[in-house]
Amino acid sequence: MARKSYNEPSHETGVFDSVKRNVLVVAVVVCVLFLLGLAGWANWQNRKQLAAHQQAIANQAVLVADNGPTGEEVLHMKSPLVGKPAPAFTLATPGGEKVSLASYKGKAVQINFWATWCAPCKIETPWLVELEKQYKPQGFEILAVSVDDLDKDDPKLLAKDIAGVVKGAKDLHIDYPVLIDGDNIAKPYGDVDVYPTSFFIDRSGKIVAASFGLTSKDDLEDNIKKALGEGKS
Amino acid sequence: MNRFAVLPLTLTLVAVALSAQAPFGDTQSHAAAKPAAVSYLFPEQVSISADKPTPVDLHFKVATGLHVNSHTPRSEELIPTTFSLPEASGVRLAKADFPPGADFALAADPTEKLSVYTGEFIIHTQLVAAKGEHLVQATLRYQACSNNTCMPPHSIPVAIDVIAK
Repeated sequence: MARKSYNEPSHETGVFDSVKRNVLVVAVVVCVLFLLGLAGWANWQNRKQLAAHQQAIANQAVLVADNGPTGEEVLHMKSPLVGKPAPAFTLATPGGEKVSLASYKGKAVQINFWATWCAPCKIETPWLVELEKQYKPQGFEILAVSVDDLDKDDPKLLAKDIAGVVKGAKDLHIDYPVLIDGDNIAKPYGDVDVYPTSFFIDRSGKIVAASFGLTSKDDLEDNIKKALGEGKS
Repeated sequence: MNRFAVLPLTLTLVAVALSAQAPFGDTQSHAAAKPAAVSYLFPEQVSISADKPTPVDLHFKVATGLHVNSHTPRSEELIPTTFSLPEASGVRLAKADFPPGADFALAADPTEKLSVYTGEFIIHTQLVAAKGEHLVQATLRYQACSNNTCMPPHSIPVAIDVIAK
């Protein structure tokens, strides 16, 4: 009977190697499937981000520098939000009282994005103060949404920032609600980044007009009439 | 299939999987590509005397149709143009002389004069640095407006390669 050489693989060793190879192949296949799954998930995430990004661009109406719309062109920009329900929001007054857009349902509302450092806003605001008084009896309200920076990390600086908004509103004789931290709602309103910007909302909560930049008192009044259901649509 | 073919196949699939992570490219950087109202023109590199305040003029340009508040706007509510260096940059800003602003009034209110920069403007600085090369990322902060709109305050990076000899 021939003896088995030590170098000759035994039947058991051969089976063991075969199992090891199979385990290795299965492990590799599992890894590949995992990576493909990961890639699929990443693709889905990217598609979602891209869709959100494209939507943000579609909603955006911005003033840019060279190669963008000029100051005059900004005045003629259209908002894709016109004809759509006004995005809901809740902001605080400088005194801390919460004010939500929902509480103005049934009224015509102008949301006016402004800042204390905005020179055109200072020209526009006295017109708004007059128009608000004139049309208030018909159910018209203005919400002055301040986009002044607030230093939320430092209570002293935050108090100073808020005091600055209060002073700015007082200097301009604003007697309608002033809301702070307006940057929080700039995104749903189309990434507002030119001031003044106004959205005019009718009694049903739909945006019927938007204006970008300093226009004229007559233009503002026309938009207020649209919000009240009196103007040309 | 030859089991040894599994390895290259796996590597190929892994490469495909990894390349699929950003199939649309970096959309975030495209979103941030909006041009700034103010751009830094020059110098990109300066040679100064080590440990001595050395004059360096920094040139900027305001985009056509826009203006920014000068360093000394007429109202305290308006945001001035400022220039700063990071503390740990190895370079110190010993002095910064801003140009005087030009009078500007919005068409809707010719009586209210603003102090602004338009077109090109120069900040005359004095920089101090220890011997060596320092890549400084300074910051210009400004708030820009057109005739009828304003944009939020913004900062742009001002990259200068400072060589102190």
